[in-house]
Amino acid sequence: MFKKPINIISFLLLFVFAILPLVLGFGFAVAYSFGLIGVLNKGFTLENWLALFENNDVVISFIYSAWLAIASLTISVVVSMAIAINFNKKFSKGIYSYLVYMPLAFPSIVAAFFFAQFLGNAGILSRICYQLGIIDKIQSFPNLINDQYSIGIIIAQFFLSLPFFTLLYTGLYQTERIDDYTKLANSLGAKNRQSIFRISIPILFKKSFPNIVLYFIFKIGAYEVPLLLGRSSPETVSVLAVRKLQKFNLYDIPQGYAIAVIYTIIILSLLMLVLKTNKNEYDI
Amino acid sequence: MSTTFKKRNIFLWLLALAFITPIITLFFLSFSKNWQFPAILPKQFTLENWRYLFFSGGNIAPSFVISLVIALSVATFSTLFGFIASKYIAYHKFRSKLLMLTYFPFALSPVIFALCLKFFFIKMSLTGNVEGIILAQLIIAFPYSVIFFTGFWSQKIKQYEDLVATLGGTTSYAFRKIVMPIAKSLILVCFFQCFLISWFEFGLTSIIGYGKVETLTIKVYQFITEANIFYAALSCCLLILPPVILLWFNKKFIIQQAK
Repeated sequence: MFKKPINIISFLLLFVFAILPLVLGFGFAVAYSFGLIGVLNKGFTLENWLALFENNDVVISFIYSAWLAIASLTISVVVSMAIAINFNKKFSKGIYSYLVYMPLAFPSIVAAFFFAQFLGNAGILSRICYQLGIIDKIQSFPNLINDQYSIGIIIAQFFLSLPFFTLLYTGLYQTERIDDYTKLANSLGAKNRQSIFRISIPILFKKSFPNIVLYFIFKIGAYEVPLLLGRSSPETVSVLAVRKLQKFNLYDIPQGYAIAVIYTIIILSLLMLVLKTNKNEYDI
Repeated sequence: MSTTFKKRNIFLWLLALAFITPIITLFFLSFSKNWQFPAILPKQFTLENWRYLFFSGGNIAPSFVISLVIALSVATFSTLFGFIASKYIAYHKFRSKLLMLTYFPFALSPVIFALCLKFFFIKMSLTGNVEGIILAQLIIAFPYSVIFFTGFWSQKIKQYEDLVATLGGTTSYAFRKIVMPIAKSLILVCFFQCFLISWFEFGLTSIIGYGKVETLTIKVYQFITEANIFYAALSCCLLILPPVILLWFNKKFIIQQAK
């Protein structure tokens, strides 16, 4: 196993920075949630877990997080596919190939702040609508942030993920030689629409599916955008866990750790499923 | 001009607008004062916000330096450690299992991960200080770096190294003259990506830093909660400026990676 000293160093690095934190963190959360450790805990108990499921908050939180991830991802995938199919050359070189990188320079917290200023009731969009005579007072502008449909969160997450998928699809469009396939199909009598829906989209979707699922996994745990643009109910998993673990009620802490345990199990199971079914797609 | 051509152009213009509006807006706001509804433009443009935050006790310059020190440290260590550890994984007989283990900490929400690890950081006196944040961010950036480099260690690289050994070259010679020249651009990209992971980090930093270590992301959040949008916008500008410049210069490398 360790023929060379460098292998020992490598293994130690892997153990210290990847395996150990995961084992310690997960172990601590499990032990805390079952009452085995913690200031107010008095030994093994299922009370914390039962209390957690007394209301639907946790289930709703997971569904809500998944819904936000799916909604923003769907829009990102559709728009970036449209870009790759229609404007492949424009986004491969020239000014657009630079512009597409702009959202990559935005941390989530900055994107959330910008969309709060842009979509809010007193935001830029509302002011433009007022000047154009579309609304007559500030209250007439629809709630687009901290709103019941989470429009602000979905738009912010779409903005953040758009460059990733645009780059992915414009790259795939070239490496998978989709242009050649569509030309062949057209020369055999297929209409443009047919070649898009029967060739381009299926190839791009199939090739990018592992990336879509991986991105979905990352987005379920999104924190900054829902924290700033979301409502207090429902909350995303990260926001709910932080609230339970960081706020003043000490009796909520074991429940917070139980949420962390459920989240970790779901994410790791999903990840294992994706990685096992795509053995050749491991590398970034 | 056909209708389709017009529609395509409108779509492109809208996209361009969507990409540049956020940056322009944030810069505008950072120089603004008195921005009352329904005016689209602020009543006053001033350098006051920048002057106050940098020179009159606004403490933004120290935050910028702290963020820079943390991001550079995390990028340096994670790139170096990741490069070393990835070779071990890439040629290991349990490559896929080890790689999966590496993916786990990277896929978890940093804020939830930090909450689970906070107890151990407290025990090691690593909360509320820069060292603790660097270590915590390494736990997120190191797996990324390992995954990033694992693809580099292909059979082709191994064959090059074997060829050098066959011709009498040492391992260190093969590393310096063969591996490093090939890996140079990838190392740069990885360094840059890890820098961004750290530079953008908020949730984990707020939990492990206890709010005592005021990185730029923490400052932005403070200004937002204080409803001070002009200072928040200014901090946002400082946060996005280095990545914009770096992205501009490294576009070539990133495109190669994406492909």
